[in-house]
Amino acid sequence: MGFADIDRSVLGREYDRLTYPPITAEELITYARTLGVTDPIYLDEAAAKSGPHGGLVAFPTFVVKLRGGQHMPMEVAKEMTLGGFDAGKDIELGAPIRPGDVITATSAITELYEKTGRSGSMWFVVFRQHLVNQGGEMVANVDSRMMQRTRGAQEAAR
Amino acid sequence: MSDHGATFDTVEPGDDLPAITVELARDYVKAHATAIGMPFARFTDEEGAKREGLPGQITPGNMTLALLARELLAWAPGGRVLRLGTTFRGLALAGSTVQLLGTVTEKDDERRTVECDVWMETAEGDRCVIGTATVQLP
Repeated sequence: MGFADIDRSVLGREYDRLTYPPITAEELITYARTLGVTDPIYLDEAAAKSGPHGGLVAFPTFVVKLRGGQHMPMEVAKEMTLGGFDAGKDIELGAPIRPGDVITATSAITELYEKTGRSGSMWFVVFRQHLVNQGGEMVANVDSRMMQRTRGAQEAAR
Repeated sequence: MSDHGATFDTVEPGDDLPAITVELARDYVKAHATAIGMPFARFTDEEGAKREGLPGQITPGNMTLALLARELLAWAPGGRVLRLGTTFRGLALAGSTVQLLGTVTEKDDERRTVECDVWMETAEGDRCVIGTATVQLP
């Protein structure tokens, strides 16, 4: 069994859905502060009122923190046992997140493909977290690309 | 670019974003990794990362993505990042110093957006993270 044998019906199938507790101002501020952001619209509720969003909003990449409950479906997870690598991330942003928002994340695999590079064969899996707020507005699509070298390539590298 | 940052009317394709130097101090990386729910040894502990076969504590990809967003919004305060796509090509080691760089590649008059190439570069000149972004400018 390997990546090539994974049933492609996994593509596009929702495998996880999680609704988070209401987002707090504190977690938005902690995110921005630990990143080193200095713009008050992400740090200071009072100052943010006169900003472009009329109040505190999440720094855009806060959305990557909302990864859902189950990281990946079992049939894919068991092929990642050799240790995968985070190969990249694409985010598309919609409505800004504000304190009190209730975000629901749904997860699906959108791509599963093999590539051959200098170090041998690798499989890539793209997971999409689709985030919506309590009003049904799209907050973000977060595509995470995980890379896993095949067993053969791993053994050849040893 | 105006004194208050980039605006749609003042930028042109070919403009460089101001380079930002970031010291990826170990405690800084650890604090942000913990804040984003990734308090794993590879991101928080030098020795723990080595036990995983890494050369040392590394910066989460999610944090490098966020730093590139920080670069864009420092360049264009009041702007909105509509899209940011990155490829993690190499390790951004905690304890090292990196530069955040970028350039404007396209301008869309209708949407008042620009396309940018952005990247993180190590002291050795390696582009450990590369990406593209769409930013709506004030």
